[in-house]
Amino acid sequence: MKSLRILTAVLALGLCVASAAFAVPKKAITVASDATWPPMEFVDANKKVVGFDIDFINAVAKEAGLQVTVKNTAWDGIFAGVEAGQYDAIISSVTITPERQAKYDFTVPYVQIGQILVVPKAEKGTKIADLKGKKLGAQIGTTGAMEVKKVAGVELKTYDEVGLAFEDMAAGRIAGVVCDEPTAITYALQKKEYSSKFKIVGKSFTKEAYGIVVKKGNKELVAQLNKGIAAVQKKKIDAQLKKKWQLK
Amino acid sequence: MSIEAKKQIIDVGDGAAIPRKSDRGLFTAWRIAFFGAIGTISYLAYSKPDPYLEILKFVPDGIAVTFKVTLGAILLAIVIGLITGLGRISKNRFFNGVASLYVEIIRGIPLLVQIFYIYYALGNIVKVPAILSAIIAMAVCYGAYMGEVVRAGIESIAKGQREAALSLGMNGRQAMIHVILPQAVKVILPPVGNEFIALLKDSSLVSIIAVADLLRRGREYASESFTYFETYTVIALIYLIITLFFSKIIGVMEERVSVNK
Repeated sequence: MKSLRILTAVLALGLCVASAAFAVPKKAITVASDATWPPMEFVDANKKVVGFDIDFINAVAKEAGLQVTVKNTAWDGIFAGVEAGQYDAIISSVTITPERQAKYDFTVPYVQIGQILVVPKAEKGTKIADLKGKKLGAQIGTTGAMEVKKVAGVELKTYDEVGLAFEDMAAGRIAGVVCDEPTAITYALQKKEYSSKFKIVGKSFTKEAYGIVVKKGNKELVAQLNKGIAAVQKKKIDAQLKKKWQLK
Repeated sequence: MSIEAKKQIIDVGDGAAIPRKSDRGLFTAWRIAFFGAIGTISYLAYSKPDPYLEILKFVPDGIAVTFKVTLGAILLAIVIGLITGLGRISKNRFFNGVASLYVEIIRGIPLLVQIFYIYYALGNIVKVPAILSAIIAMAVCYGAYMGEVVRAGIESIAKGQREAALSLGMNGRQAMIHVILPQAVKVILPPVGNEFIALLKDSSLVSIIAVADLLRRGREYASESFTYFETYTVIALIYLIITLFFSKIIGVMEERVSVNK
Protein backbone atom coordinates (compact mmCIF):
# COMPACT_ATOMS: atom_id res chain seq x y z
CA MET A 1 0.00 0.00 0.00
CA LYS A 2 2.78 2.29 0.98
CA SER A 3 4.69 1.54 -2.18
CA LEU A 4 1.61 2.32 -4.24
CA ARG A 5 1.34 5.69 -2.54
CA ILE A 6 4.97 6.45 -3.31
CA LEU A 7 4.43 5.39 -6.88
CA THR A 8 1.42 7.70 -7.18
CA ALA A 9 3.45 10.52 -5.70
CA VAL A 10 6.30 9.92 -8.10
CA LEU A 11 3.89 9.79 -11.03
CA ALA A 12 2.21 12.99 -9.96
CA LEU A 13 5.56 14.70 -9.57
CA GLY A 14 6.61 13.46 -12.98
CA LEU A 15 3.45 14.86 -14.53
CA CYS A 16 4.08 18.21 -12.86
CA VAL A 17 7.64 18.38 -14.20
CA ALA A 18 6.51 17.33 -17.66
CA SER A 19 3.74 19.88 -17.82
CA ALA A 20 6.10 22.56 -16.56
CA ALA A 21 8.54 21.72 -19.33
CA PHE A 22 5.83 21.99 -21.94
CA ALA A 23 4.19 25.01 -20.41
CA VAL A 24 5.79 27.35 -22.96
CA PRO A 25 5.76 25.38 -26.20
CA LYS A 26 8.60 27.15 -28.01
CA LYS A 27 9.25 25.39 -31.28
CA ALA A 28 12.95 24.82 -31.85
CA ILE A 29 14.26 25.22 -35.39
CA THR A 30 17.71 24.90 -36.93
CA VAL A 31 18.73 27.48 -39.51
CA ALA A 32 21.66 27.00 -41.87
CA SER A 33 23.99 29.83 -42.86
CA ASP A 34 27.19 29.90 -44.90
CA ALA A 35 29.33 32.07 -42.68
CA THR A 36 31.70 33.33 -45.39
CA TRP A 37 29.72 36.35 -46.52
CA PRO A 38 30.49 39.38 -44.40
CA PRO A 39 28.81 41.48 -43.12
CA MET A 40 25.69 39.33 -43.54
CA GLU A 41 27.07 36.15 -41.99
CA PHE A 42 30.64 35.37 -41.02
CA VAL A 43 32.74 33.84 -38.26
CA ASP A 44 34.17 36.42 -35.86
CA ALA A 45 37.39 36.33 -33.86
CA ASN A 46 35.64 34.28 -31.16
CA LYS A 47 34.67 31.62 -33.72
CA LYS A 48 31.05 32.62 -33.42
CA VAL A 49 28.77 32.98 -36.41
CA VAL A 50 27.68 36.62 -36.46
CA GLY A 51 26.32 39.17 -38.90
CA PHE A 52 23.16 40.93 -39.98
CA ASP A 53 21.35 37.74 -40.95
CA ILE A 54 22.13 36.09 -37.63
CA ASP A 55 20.86 39.05 -35.61
CA PHE A 56 17.87 39.26 -37.91
CA ILE A 57 16.81 35.62 -37.59
CA ASN A 58 17.17 35.82 -33.82
CA ALA A 59 14.94 38.89 -33.74
CA VAL A 60 12.40 37.24 -36.04
CA ALA A 61 12.41 34.08 -33.94
CA LYS A 62 11.84 36.07 -30.78
CA GLU A 63 8.81 37.77 -32.31
CA ALA A 64 7.48 34.50 -33.73
CA GLY A 65 8.02 32.51 -30.54
CA LEU A 66 10.62 30.21 -32.05
CA GLN A 67 13.89 28.97 -30.69
CA VAL A 68 16.72 29.18 -33.21
CA THR A 69 20.02 27.34 -33.55
CA VAL A 70 22.27 28.57 -36.35
CA LYS A 71 24.27 25.93 -38.17
CA ASN A 72 27.31 26.96 -40.19
CA THR A 73 26.97 25.17 -43.53
CA ALA A 74 28.97 25.27 -46.77
CA TRP A 75 27.12 27.19 -49.48
CA ASP A 76 27.53 24.48 -52.12
CA GLY A 77 24.83 22.04 -51.16
CA ILE A 78 23.08 24.30 -48.66
CA PHE A 79 19.81 23.93 -50.59
CA ALA A 80 20.11 20.16 -50.73
CA GLY A 81 20.34 20.15 -46.92
CA VAL A 82 17.05 21.96 -46.40
CA GLU A 83 15.40 19.60 -48.87
CA ALA A 84 16.79 16.58 -47.02
CA GLY A 85 15.54 18.00 -43.71
CA GLN A 86 18.99 18.47 -42.13
CA TYR A 87 17.80 21.89 -41.02
CA ASP A 88 14.51 23.74 -41.18
CA ALA A 89 15.49 26.95 -42.93
CA ILE A 90 18.34 28.88 -44.58
CA ILE A 91 19.23 32.47 -43.83
CA SER A 92 22.34 33.11 -45.87
CA SER A 93 21.86 36.16 -48.11
CA VAL A 94 19.70 34.04 -50.42
CA THR A 95 18.29 36.08 -53.28
CA ILE A 96 14.72 35.19 -54.18
CA THR A 97 14.79 33.99 -57.81
CA PRO A 98 12.07 32.25 -59.85
CA GLU A 99 14.30 29.17 -60.25
CA ARG A 100 14.79 28.87 -56.51
CA GLN A 101 11.11 29.57 -55.84
CA ALA A 102 10.21 26.64 -58.07
CA LYS A 103 12.12 24.30 -55.74
CA TYR A 104 11.86 25.94 -52.31
CA ASP A 105 9.53 28.18 -50.38
CA PHE A 106 10.60 31.68 -49.38
CA THR A 107 9.47 34.12 -46.74
CA VAL A 108 8.69 37.70 -47.69
CA PRO A 109 11.78 39.69 -48.74
CA TYR A 110 13.71 41.22 -45.84
CA VAL A 111 16.62 43.11 -47.45
CA GLN A 112 17.10 44.72 -50.87
CA ILE A 113 20.55 44.52 -52.44
CA GLY A 114 22.24 44.27 -55.84
CA GLN A 115 25.22 42.70 -57.55
CA ILE A 116 28.33 44.80 -58.00
CA LEU A 117 31.69 44.44 -59.73
CA VAL A 118 35.02 44.63 -57.89
CA VAL A 119 38.23 44.98 -59.92
CA PRO A 120 41.91 45.73 -59.32
CA LYS A 121 42.69 49.45 -59.01
CA ALA A 122 44.39 49.61 -62.43
CA GLU A 123 41.35 48.24 -64.32
CA LYS A 124 39.57 50.77 -66.56
CA GLY A 125 36.44 48.75 -67.33
CA THR A 126 33.36 49.55 -65.28
CA LYS A 127 31.00 46.72 -66.13
CA ILE A 128 31.17 42.98 -66.82
CA ALA A 129 30.91 43.49 -70.60
CA ASP A 130 34.08 45.65 -70.50
CA LEU A 131 36.08 42.63 -69.35
CA LYS A 132 35.55 40.43 -72.41
CA GLY A 133 38.19 37.78 -72.93
CA LYS A 134 39.06 37.84 -69.24
CA LYS A 135 38.20 35.64 -66.28
CA LEU A 136 35.73 36.80 -63.67
CA GLY A 137 35.23 35.13 -60.32
CA ALA A 138 32.11 34.52 -58.24
CA GLN A 139 30.95 32.13 -55.58
CA ILE A 140 29.45 28.93 -56.96
CA GLY A 141 25.68 28.95 -57.39
CA THR A 142 25.21 32.61 -56.47
CA THR A 143 23.32 35.25 -58.41
CA GLY A 144 26.71 36.90 -59.00
CA ALA A 145 27.90 33.78 -60.88
CA MET A 146 24.66 33.80 -62.89
CA GLU A 147 25.17 37.45 -63.87
CA VAL A 148 28.71 36.72 -65.16
CA LYS A 149 27.42 33.74 -67.10
CA LYS A 150 24.86 35.92 -68.86
CA VAL A 151 27.57 37.99 -70.56
CA ALA A 152 29.07 36.26 -73.62
CA GLY A 153 32.85 36.38 -74.02
CA VAL A 154 33.62 36.51 -70.31
CA GLU A 155 34.90 33.38 -68.62
CA LEU A 156 33.30 32.54 -65.28
CA LYS A 157 35.39 30.96 -62.55
CA THR A 158 33.42 29.66 -59.60
CA TYR A 159 34.78 29.46 -56.07
CA ASP A 160 33.58 27.68 -52.95
CA GLU A 161 33.89 30.91 -50.98
CA VAL A 162 33.90 34.47 -52.23
CA GLY A 163 37.03 35.13 -50.13
CA LEU A 164 38.98 32.70 -52.31
CA ALA A 165 37.92 34.66 -55.38
CA PHE A 166 39.23 37.89 -53.87
CA GLU A 167 42.49 36.14 -52.95
CA ASP A 168 42.83 34.89 -56.53
CA MET A 169 42.24 38.42 -57.82
CA ALA A 170 44.98 39.67 -55.48
CA ALA A 171 47.28 37.03 -57.03
CA GLY A 172 46.37 38.29 -60.49
CA ARG A 173 44.63 35.14 -61.67
CA ILE A 174 41.26 36.77 -62.37
CA ALA A 175 40.26 40.24 -63.57
CA GLY A 176 37.23 40.86 -61.37
CA VAL A 177 34.81 39.51 -58.79
CA VAL A 178 31.02 39.86 -58.83
CA CYS A 179 29.12 39.55 -55.55
CA ASP A 180 26.47 41.20 -53.38
CA GLU A 181 27.14 44.88 -52.71
CA PRO A 182 27.47 44.68 -48.89
CA THR A 183 30.03 41.86 -49.18
CA ALA A 184 31.90 43.73 -51.92
CA ILE A 185 32.13 46.77 -49.65
CA THR A 186 33.48 44.67 -46.79
CA TYR A 187 36.13 42.99 -48.92
CA ALA A 188 37.16 45.79 -51.25
CA LEU A 189 36.97 48.78 -48.93
CA GLN A 190 37.20 47.58 -45.34
CA LYS A 191 39.77 44.77 -45.41
CA LYS A 192 43.24 46.23 -44.95
CA GLU A 193 45.04 43.84 -47.29
CA TYR A 194 42.60 44.51 -50.15
CA SER A 195 41.59 48.15 -49.83
CA SER A 196 44.82 49.33 -51.45
CA LYS A 197 44.47 46.86 -54.32
CA PHE A 198 40.80 46.78 -55.28
CA LYS A 199 38.03 49.19 -56.13
CA ILE A 200 34.30 48.91 -56.64
CA VAL A 201 33.21 50.12 -60.06
CA GLY A 202 29.83 51.48 -61.11
CA LYS A 203 26.65 50.97 -59.17
CA SER A 204 24.96 47.72 -58.29
CA PHE A 205 23.39 46.49 -61.53
CA THR A 206 20.67 44.13 -60.29
CA LYS A 207 17.70 44.56 -58.01
CA GLU A 208 17.47 41.61 -55.67
CA ALA A 209 15.83 40.77 -52.39
CA TYR A 210 16.91 38.30 -49.74
CA GLY A 211 14.43 35.81 -48.34
CA ILE A 212 14.56 33.02 -45.78
CA VAL A 213 14.38 29.58 -47.44
CA VAL A 214 12.31 26.68 -46.12
CA LYS A 215 11.48 23.29 -47.57
CA LYS A 216 8.80 23.33 -50.23
CA GLY A 217 5.40 22.84 -48.64
CA ASN A 218 6.34 23.85 -45.10
CA LYS A 219 3.61 26.51 -45.07
CA GLU A 220 3.42 26.59 -41.28
CA LEU A 221 7.03 27.68 -40.82
CA VAL A 222 6.79 30.24 -43.64
CA ALA A 223 3.74 31.76 -41.93
CA GLN A 224 5.49 31.87 -38.55
CA LEU A 225 8.63 33.46 -40.00
CA ASN A 226 6.57 35.97 -42.02
CA LYS A 227 4.76 36.93 -38.86
CA GLY A 228 8.10 37.44 -37.12
CA ILE A 229 9.51 39.48 -40.02
CA ALA A 230 6.42 41.71 -40.02
CA ALA A 231 6.80 42.35 -36.29
CA VAL A 232 10.53 43.06 -36.62
CA GLN A 233 9.86 45.53 -39.43
CA LYS A 234 7.03 47.17 -37.55
CA LYS A 235 9.24 47.69 -34.51
CA LYS A 236 12.00 49.04 -36.79
CA ILE A 237 14.43 46.46 -35.41
CA ASP A 238 15.69 45.73 -38.93
CA ALA A 239 16.59 49.40 -39.40
CA GLN A 240 18.69 49.26 -36.23
CA LEU A 241 20.42 46.10 -37.43
CA LYS A 242 21.18 47.66 -40.81
CA LYS A 243 22.83 50.53 -38.97
CA LYS A 244 24.77 48.14 -36.75
CA TRP A 245 26.15 46.17 -39.71
CA GLN A 246 26.56 49.26 -41.91
CA LEU A 247 24.14 48.29 -44.65
CA LYS A 248 22.68 50.98 -46.85
CA MET B 1 67.89 -11.89 -45.99
CA SER B 2 67.92 -14.28 -48.89
CA ILE B 3 67.75 -13.08 -52.46
CA GLU B 4 64.39 -14.78 -53.05
CA ALA B 5 62.78 -13.02 -50.13
CA LYS B 6 63.78 -9.65 -51.54
CA LYS B 7 62.28 -10.29 -54.96
CA GLN B 8 58.71 -9.50 -54.11
CA ILE B 9 56.09 -7.53 -55.93
CA ILE B 10 55.50 -4.20 -54.24
CA ASP B 11 51.80 -3.95 -53.68
CA VAL B 12 51.00 -0.66 -52.04
CA GLY B 13 48.65 2.10 -53.05
CA ASP B 14 45.02 2.95 -52.73
CA GLY B 15 44.17 2.82 -56.41
CA ALA B 16 41.46 0.66 -57.90
CA ALA B 17 42.44 -2.98 -57.93
CA ILE B 18 44.02 -3.85 -61.24
CA PRO B 19 42.62 -7.12 -62.55
CA ARG B 20 45.18 -9.73 -63.51
CA LYS B 21 44.24 -12.73 -65.57
CA SER B 22 45.05 -15.06 -62.69
CA ASP B 23 42.50 -13.37 -60.45
CA ARG B 24 39.21 -14.60 -61.87
CA GLY B 25 36.97 -13.11 -59.22
CA LEU B 26 38.38 -9.62 -59.61
CA PHE B 27 38.21 -9.90 -63.38
CA THR B 28 34.50 -10.63 -63.26
CA ALA B 29 33.94 -7.82 -60.77
CA TRP B 30 35.71 -5.45 -63.14
CA ARG B 31 33.43 -6.47 -66.01
CA ILE B 32 30.27 -6.11 -63.95
CA ALA B 33 31.32 -2.70 -62.61
CA PHE B 34 32.58 -1.33 -65.93
CA PHE B 35 29.75 -2.42 -68.17
CA GLY B 36 27.23 -1.88 -65.40
CA ALA B 37 28.33 1.75 -65.05
CA ILE B 38 28.17 2.35 -68.79
CA GLY B 39 24.78 0.65 -68.95
CA THR B 40 23.40 2.65 -66.04
CA ILE B 41 24.56 5.98 -67.38
CA SER B 42 23.18 5.23 -70.87
CA TYR B 43 19.87 4.08 -69.44
CA LEU B 44 19.53 7.19 -67.28
CA ALA B 45 20.38 9.52 -70.17
CA TYR B 46 17.89 7.74 -72.40
CA SER B 47 15.01 7.37 -69.97
CA LYS B 48 15.33 10.73 -68.23
CA PRO B 49 17.14 13.15 -70.56
CA ASP B 50 16.27 15.98 -68.17
CA PRO B 51 18.45 16.21 -66.11
CA TYR B 52 20.75 13.25 -66.91
CA LEU B 53 21.50 14.05 -70.56
CA GLU B 54 21.83 17.73 -69.66
CA ILE B 55 24.43 16.87 -67.03
CA LEU B 56 26.35 14.74 -69.51
CA LYS B 57 26.36 17.63 -71.96
CA PHE B 58 27.60 20.04 -69.29
CA VAL B 59 30.66 18.17 -67.99
CA PRO B 60 32.88 17.10 -70.97
CA ASP B 61 35.28 20.05 -70.70
CA GLY B 62 35.62 19.14 -67.04
CA ILE B 63 36.65 15.60 -68.00
CA ALA B 64 39.30 17.10 -70.30
CA VAL B 65 40.66 19.19 -67.42
CA THR B 66 40.69 16.14 -65.11
CA PHE B 67 42.77 14.29 -67.72
CA LYS B 68 45.10 17.24 -68.18
CA VAL B 69 45.74 17.54 -64.47
CA THR B 70 46.18 13.79 -64.00
CA LEU B 71 48.54 13.25 -66.94
CA GLY B 72 50.58 16.37 -66.25
CA ALA B 73 50.88 15.51 -62.57
CA ILE B 74 51.81 11.85 -63.09
CA LEU B 75 54.56 12.69 -65.61
CA LEU B 76 56.01 15.35 -63.34
CA ALA B 77 55.61 13.05 -60.33
CA ILE B 78 57.54 10.26 -62.07
CA VAL B 79 60.44 12.65 -62.73
CA ILE B 80 60.37 13.93 -59.13
CA GLY B 81 59.97 10.34 -57.89
CA LEU B 82 62.97 9.09 -59.83
CA ILE B 83 65.20 11.84 -58.45
CA THR B 84 63.83 11.37 -54.94
CA GLY B 85 64.15 7.59 -55.09
CA LEU B 86 67.77 7.82 -56.20
CA GLY B 87 68.35 10.41 -53.48
CA ARG B 88 66.90 8.12 -50.83
CA ILE B 89 69.44 5.37 -51.62
CA SER B 90 72.29 7.75 -52.39
CA LYS B 91 75.46 7.63 -50.30
CA ASN B 92 75.84 11.37 -50.77
CA ARG B 93 74.64 12.61 -47.38
CA PHE B 94 73.35 15.94 -48.63
CA PHE B 95 71.37 14.48 -51.55
CA ASN B 96 70.05 11.72 -49.30
CA GLY B 97 69.10 14.16 -46.56
CA VAL B 98 67.20 16.49 -48.89
CA ALA B 99 65.29 13.62 -50.51
CA SER B 100 64.40 12.06 -47.15
CA LEU B 101 63.30 15.39 -45.72
CA TYR B 102 61.10 16.03 -48.73
CA VAL B 103 59.44 12.62 -48.37
CA GLU B 104 58.92 13.10 -44.63
CA ILE B 105 57.37 16.55 -45.00
CA ILE B 106 55.10 15.75 -47.93
CA ARG B 107 53.82 12.49 -46.51
CA GLY B 108 52.95 14.25 -43.29
CA ILE B 109 50.69 16.87 -44.86
CA PRO B 110 47.23 16.10 -46.25
CA LEU B 111 46.99 16.53 -50.01
CA LEU B 112 44.13 18.99 -49.68
CA VAL B 113 46.24 21.26 -47.47
CA GLN B 114 49.16 20.98 -49.88
CA ILE B 115 46.98 21.99 -52.80
CA PHE B 116 45.74 25.07 -50.97
CA TYR B 117 49.23 25.90 -49.77
CA ILE B 118 51.01 25.53 -53.09
CA TYR B 119 48.22 27.33 -54.94
CA TYR B 120 48.30 30.43 -52.75
CA ALA B 121 52.04 30.30 -52.06
CA LEU B 122 52.75 30.20 -55.79
CA GLY B 123 50.26 33.03 -56.28
CA ASN B 124 52.37 35.24 -54.04
CA ILE B 125 55.58 34.54 -55.91
CA VAL B 126 54.79 34.02 -59.58
CA LYS B 127 51.73 34.34 -61.74
CA VAL B 128 50.86 30.75 -62.59
CA PRO B 129 47.56 29.67 -64.14
CA ALA B 130 45.31 27.75 -61.78
CA ILE B 131 45.58 24.51 -63.72
CA LEU B 132 49.41 24.58 -63.67
CA SER B 133 49.36 25.25 -59.92
CA ALA B 134 47.11 22.24 -59.53
CA ILE B 135 49.45 20.04 -61.58
CA ILE B 136 52.47 21.20 -59.56
CA ALA B 137 50.68 20.63 -56.25
CA MET B 138 49.59 17.12 -57.19
CA ALA B 139 53.04 16.26 -58.60
CA VAL B 140 54.88 17.51 -55.52
CA CYS B 141 52.66 15.32 -53.35
CA TYR B 142 52.73 12.21 -55.50
CA GLY B 143 56.45 12.65 -56.22
CA ALA B 144 57.15 11.75 -52.59
CA TYR B 145 55.12 8.55 -52.78
CA MET B 146 56.62 7.78 -56.16
CA GLY B 147 60.09 8.29 -54.68
CA GLU B 148 59.39 5.56 -52.15
CA VAL B 149 58.16 3.25 -54.90
CA VAL B 150 61.34 3.87 -56.91
CA ARG B 151 63.50 3.31 -53.85
CA ALA B 152 61.77 0.04 -53.01
CA GLY B 153 62.00 -1.01 -56.66
CA ILE B 154 65.74 -0.41 -56.84
CA GLU B 155 66.34 -2.09 -53.51
CA SER B 156 64.43 -5.13 -54.71
CA ILE B 157 67.09 -5.82 -57.37
CA ALA B 158 69.64 -8.32 -56.11
CA LYS B 159 72.97 -6.89 -54.98
CA GLY B 160 74.74 -9.37 -57.22
CA GLN B 161 73.47 -7.50 -60.28
CA ARG B 162 75.33 -4.38 -59.29
CA GLU B 163 78.41 -6.30 -58.28
CA ALA B 164 78.43 -8.10 -61.62
CA ALA B 165 78.08 -4.83 -63.49
CA LEU B 166 80.93 -3.27 -61.52
CA SER B 167 83.15 -6.29 -62.14
CA LEU B 168 82.50 -5.86 -65.86
CA GLY B 169 84.15 -2.47 -65.58
CA MET B 170 81.07 -0.23 -65.33
CA ASN B 171 81.10 2.61 -62.88
CA GLY B 172 78.30 3.12 -60.36
CA ARG B 173 76.27 5.41 -62.59
CA GLN B 174 76.50 3.11 -65.60
CA ALA B 175 75.49 0.14 -63.47
CA MET B 176 72.42 2.05 -62.26
CA ILE B 177 71.34 3.24 -65.70
CA HIS B 178 72.09 0.12 -67.76
CA VAL B 179 71.60 -2.72 -65.28
CA ILE B 180 69.60 -1.81 -62.17
CA LEU B 181 66.96 0.64 -63.45
CA PRO B 182 65.83 -1.43 -66.48
CA GLN B 183 65.13 -4.33 -64.13
CA ALA B 184 63.61 -2.14 -61.46
CA VAL B 185 61.11 -0.68 -63.96
CA LYS B 186 59.32 -4.04 -64.15
CA VAL B 187 58.94 -4.11 -60.39
CA ILE B 188 57.98 -0.46 -60.19
CA LEU B 189 55.37 -0.49 -62.92
CA PRO B 190 52.47 -2.07 -60.97
CA PRO B 191 52.69 0.36 -58.03
CA VAL B 192 53.13 3.29 -60.43
CA GLY B 193 49.94 2.15 -62.14
CA ASN B 194 48.26 2.14 -58.75
CA GLU B 195 49.53 5.63 -58.04
CA PHE B 196 48.18 6.78 -61.37
CA ILE B 197 44.68 5.56 -60.56
CA ALA B 198 44.88 7.07 -57.07
CA LEU B 199 46.06 10.38 -58.55
CA LEU B 200 43.22 10.33 -61.05
CA LYS B 201 40.74 10.10 -58.18
CA ASP B 202 42.58 12.61 -55.99
CA SER B 203 42.59 15.08 -58.88
CA SER B 204 38.99 15.80 -57.86
CA LEU B 205 40.49 17.72 -54.92
CA VAL B 206 41.70 20.45 -57.26
CA SER B 207 38.11 21.56 -57.73
CA ILE B 208 38.60 23.30 -54.38
CA ILE B 209 40.96 25.84 -55.96
CA ALA B 210 38.40 26.63 -58.65
CA VAL B 211 39.98 24.48 -61.35
CA ALA B 212 37.07 23.56 -63.61
CA ASP B 213 37.55 19.78 -63.50
CA LEU B 214 34.89 17.09 -63.68
CA LEU B 215 33.79 17.47 -60.06
CA ARG B 216 33.68 21.28 -60.25
CA ARG B 217 31.57 21.19 -63.42
CA GLY B 218 29.20 18.80 -61.69
CA ARG B 219 28.99 21.06 -58.65
CA GLU B 220 28.31 24.06 -60.87
CA TYR B 221 25.50 22.22 -62.60
CA ALA B 222 24.01 21.02 -59.33
CA SER B 223 24.25 24.40 -57.65
CA GLU B 224 22.04 26.03 -60.26
CA SER B 225 19.65 23.23 -61.09
CA PHE B 226 19.43 21.91 -57.49
CA THR B 227 19.65 18.35 -58.86
CA TYR B 228 22.33 17.28 -56.41
CA PHE B 229 21.51 13.59 -56.26
CA GLU B 230 21.22 13.19 -60.03
CA THR B 231 24.40 15.17 -60.72
CA TYR B 232 26.58 13.33 -58.24
CA THR B 233 25.22 10.01 -59.53
CA VAL B 234 26.48 10.91 -63.00
CA ILE B 235 29.80 12.29 -61.71
CA ALA B 236 30.47 9.15 -59.66
CA LEU B 237 29.65 6.89 -62.62
CA ILE B 238 31.94 8.87 -64.94
CA TYR B 239 34.83 8.64 -62.47
CA LEU B 240 34.16 4.92 -62.10
CA ILE B 241 34.19 4.32 -65.85
CA ILE B 242 37.43 6.31 -66.27
CA THR B 243 39.30 4.62 -63.42
CA LEU B 244 38.16 1.13 -64.44
CA PHE B 245 39.15 1.83 -68.04
CA PHE B 246 42.65 2.91 -67.02
CA SER B 247 43.12 0.11 -64.52
CA LYS B 248 42.39 -2.32 -67.34
CA ILE B 249 44.92 -0.64 -69.63
CA ILE B 250 47.55 -0.67 -66.90
CA GLY B 251 46.78 -4.34 -66.22
CA VAL B 252 47.40 -5.17 -69.88
CA MET B 253 50.63 -3.14 -69.86
CA GLU B 254 51.89 -5.02 -66.82
CA GLU B 255 51.20 -8.35 -68.45
CA ARG B 256 53.14 -7.28 -71.53
CA VAL B 257 56.10 -6.33 -69.38
CA SER B 258 56.00 -9.47 -67.29
CA VAL B 259 55.83 -11.73 -70.38
CA ASN B 260 59.40 -10.94 -71.45
CA LYS B 261 60.76 -11.42 -67.97
